[in-house]
Amino acid sequence: MSQKLSITQRINFPHSFKLTAPRQQMLFGYLILLPTLVIIFVFRFYPMLQAFYISMTDYDLIKSPEFVGLSNFIDLLKDPLFLNSAQVSLTYVFFSVVPTWIISMGLALLFNRHIWFKNLFRSAVFMPVIMPSVVMALVWTFMYHQQGVVNIILGWLQISPIPWLRSSSTALWAVILIGIWRASPYFMVIFLAGLQAIPSDFLDAAQIDGANSWQSFLYVKLPLLKPTTLLVIIMSIITAMKVFAVPLIMTNGGPANSTRVLPLFIYQTAFEFFDMGRASAMSIFLFAAVMIITVFQIRLFSAGEDE
Amino acid sequence: MKKGASNLLSVRIIKKILVYAALVLAAFVCLLPYYWMISSAFKTEVNIFRLPIQWFPDPINWMSFVKGWQAQNFPRYFFNSFFVSIAITIGTLLFASLAGYSLAKFRYPGRNIIFIIILSTMMLPLEVTMVPLFLLIKNFGWQNSYMGLIVPFLVEGFGVFLMRQFILGIPRDLIEASRMDGASEMRIFFQIIMPLCKPALAALAVFTFREAWDMYIWPLIIVSKDDLRTVPLGISLFMGNYGTAWDQLMAIATVGTLPMIILFFLLQRAFIQGITMTGIKG
Amino acid sequence: MKGSNLLAVLLLIAVLVTACAPKTAVVPTEPAVVEQPTVVEKPAATEVPVEASWTFPTENVTLEIWWHEYGPFTAYMEEMIPKYMELHPNITVNVTKVSSADLNQKLSAAIATGTGPDILDQDASYYVQYYEKGVLEPLNLDVWGAKSYGDVIENYLPGGADAGIFDGKIYSLPYQGNSMSLWISNKLFVAAGLDPVKDAPKTWEDMINICPKLKIVDGNVTKQKAFDFPYHSARWQLQQFQPLTEQFGGELLSADGKTVALNSPAAVSALTLWKRVTDACGDPQTTMNTGSNPNQDFIDGRLAMWITGPWATPQITASEFVGDQFTVVGLPQVDPTNPRTMVYGWEWAVNADRPEINKQVAWDFIKFVLASPEEWLAKAGFVQPVKGLLETETAKTFPFLSVHLKDVETATWYIRSGKVNEISLAVGAAIEAVVYDNVNPQTALDAAQAEAENALK
Repeated sequence: MSQKLSITQRINFPHSFKLTAPRQQMLFGYLILLPTLVIIFVFRFYPMLQAFYISMTDYDLIKSPEFVGLSNFIDLLKDPLFLNSAQVSLTYVFFSVVPTWIISMGLALLFNRHIWFKNLFRSAVFMPVIMPSVVMALVWTFMYHQQGVVNIILGWLQISPIPWLRSSSTALWAVILIGIWRASPYFMVIFLAGLQAIPSDFLDAAQIDGANSWQSFLYVKLPLLKPTTLLVIIMSIITAMKVFAVPLIMTNGGPANSTRVLPLFIYQTAFEFFDMGRASAMSIFLFAAVMIITVFQIRLFSAGEDE
Repeated sequence: MKKGASNLLSVRIIKKILVYAALVLAAFVCLLPYYWMISSAFKTEVNIFRLPIQWFPDPINWMSFVKGWQAQNFPRYFFNSFFVSIAITIGTLLFASLAGYSLAKFRYPGRNIIFIIILSTMMLPLEVTMVPLFLLIKNFGWQNSYMGLIVPFLVEGFGVFLMRQFILGIPRDLIEASRMDGASEMRIFFQIIMPLCKPALAALAVFTFREAWDMYIWPLIIVSKDDLRTVPLGISLFMGNYGTAWDQLMAIATVGTLPMIILFFLLQRAFIQGITMTGIKG
Repeated sequence: MKGSNLLAVLLLIAVLVTACAPKTAVVPTEPAVVEQPTVVEKPAATEVPVEASWTFPTENVTLEIWWHEYGPFTAYMEEMIPKYMELHPNITVNVTKVSSADLNQKLSAAIATGTGPDILDQDASYYVQYYEKGVLEPLNLDVWGAKSYGDVIENYLPGGADAGIFDGKIYSLPYQGNSMSLWISNKLFVAAGLDPVKDAPKTWEDMINICPKLKIVDGNVTKQKAFDFPYHSARWQLQQFQPLTEQFGGELLSADGKTVALNSPAAVSALTLWKRVTDACGDPQTTMNTGSNPNQDFIDGRLAMWITGPWATPQITASEFVGDQFTVVGLPQVDPTNPRTMVYGWEWAVNADRPEINKQVAWDFIKFVLASPEEWLAKAGFVQPVKGLLETETAKTFPFLSVHLKDVETATWYIRSGKVNEISLAVGAAIEAVVYDNVNPQTALDAAQAEAENALK
């Protein structure tokens, strides 16, 4: 048994402070959190607080911000363009996130089995994650052309060509498809990591007890995947709420504002309309929506957490 | 009995076929745009826009890579991207794991609040935090420097979140057992926790590297020196106001995906690693 | 290795990596490899003898310039800058090239944090905002060697310098003043049995009449379009909607810039005409144009007629299908006796938030760089809207320059308002609603009007 002192034991505490084991651990916990805390607080949280402040000002990026209270928020609630963007974003989030969960979970389960050429398939499926967002937007723009790849493939399936980017009823679906395409492999990898971490003892035990693969999934894997699932749900919603490059480059919010998701509108308001106050206010709405969903999910999933 | 056995066999065969069909479909859908990017890199510019579309480049244009590479100072840009991305990845792997471990396995006042705050920093789009952050960086004197590109992103909410969730799944008993054996906290972290986290660390490495490599808006606004440009900024220079050198753009973009692909291949084994945790009390 | 030691080493590495990053050396960048049209080399402009009210400073000054990347433009600037530095060894010019789609965001963020360049390069329509917010430094008459602003303005075509004039002073000068004219693809005309010069449409009705010959549809695939309006950018849409509205006698923006009239009868007529022309001549669903290659359809021979500016000349001349087989005629009109066209431009300006001496040298640099409009034309393909350009040697070899300049003469500047982006997005959305979704033009423009009024409040 080593007599070496731990980091926390080496700190000289005032004599009255009893360094019990739990306290020692607590201190260690704080200590290893510190670097992360410092970086995130200084470079993320502090600018975030400033953005909160700016949302209550009139700020055009050039003159100093002028406090205006809640008028940005009130104006936004009456602004049809903002309400349109909020709706577009919500539509996008719902219809991209739900299929993404299903597909990424399904793919992870598939890849958890014994498969020939597993590496090959897995690498192929991972490709969407690797493409730079700007290039991805450009390539898909060409693929969505009237006579482009997507319509050609639809033609093989005897489906007539869809106007995709050239109609306000189909453009958002075009963007959603890209979102699903991009996010599914990403979250598949996370689910895979989670699945890999399930001790094979549990799975063997289940098999010995006569469970088939569906039961094994439902009663062994799914519960043990809870932390991973929480992560995927929250991250997929956050990333879907922030999607920006594709609507900007592919459609610039069009046609007729049908793909003007909130982050794009925020960007335009900040840097094209020079109204940073309003843009920040919009972000606060976005933030609030995501925060509520997140806290709700955490509560939901905390019901069985290992602590 | 025989009938039952053969039914079982045909069900299994059908299942297998479905599995492989699904995989092939998934691979096809995932690869198609990537294939489009690569084939465009090898096409002459005229053929990139040809209708009906040309599936296979003909004639094959090798010059797009050469000309594209020479069009801007790409050797420097690739160095910058590597330097920044690797630094951020190492930082994230280290700090996010430490923080995730702390949030998952230690109890202290304010723990939950801190976790929520860290999560919340992911929820505001960069567009609105960008200007305050830029001012901060400027006050540190870090604009136009590697520090400015790296430090604000040295660790992010996502990494902490990922590691926390993952480490939550590690049984407490394992840690307690090591403590009873007299192992120091740091030792427990490096010798017990980290090895068990290999798949998560691999995933985190890949994602962090990708995000760092792909960063665009932040380098755009804080870099005004050509020799600090990163690869995405270099590629954007192909897109002029009046015309774009598409073949060169696609060529360099393809080259730009190679580091990610290599990283992914290198980390494949970590993804595969299964874990057996024998010796745990019931 | 002990865990705690390992941690210490890793932290040390992390700190070393970030803090001791190699100092970035000044690496001379390769100039863009670009084909240059062969040109009669005119010597660079020599210094105009200046009355001794301003002497060139002797201390070291470093100028920062940001411009939007474009091959021939960058190449010409990279030619001129060393010449300037040779003339004035105490001046260093640092350049940052930015993709034009990003320039606005980078400039805005920089101005907000006081890290902007000495010399700004931006589309003229942004300068209204910048002027209103005090970002710009007016032209320094002593540095320029002129007695009054009027003297400088005299050198420009009537209205050519307007976009940079606020309160009687010059705040920015154009290095590009482009009108948008009608380009004809000769081969496609000839193939349809038409003469590119004689049969080129002068009015919109002419155009609608010849479209059936030039629009080729096979089944449900449009193989060739006769003419199409732009759909890749709201800015381009407004740039072509504006003269159309004026041709019907309306004005999109009042002279004082405070009221907008997007749903006037003239505007509605304009949008109705837009739809008629599109239905007869084009197919917005089949286009390969994007924001960074707006002329693609024309270049590829899928479009017989297209509206674009003289800057497209090098690109189109270098293309495989069109080459020099094109004709440029004036923008089609509603009433040819009362032509209305549009001019927009990119301009240089000086950042007011910089040291006085930088600002002076900046204006001197701008003067130096703008001094030879003929070289701008020859090397960058940019038309400065100045007098006397038409008479130069280069002008005579530049295809259809007289047509371009004629359209500049009858032009109104692209609307100058601090809210130009809101307005263009509103108009763009209205146009798309009408063209893609068959919305009634009045309804669409009423919505645009409401949006624009909201923005102008």
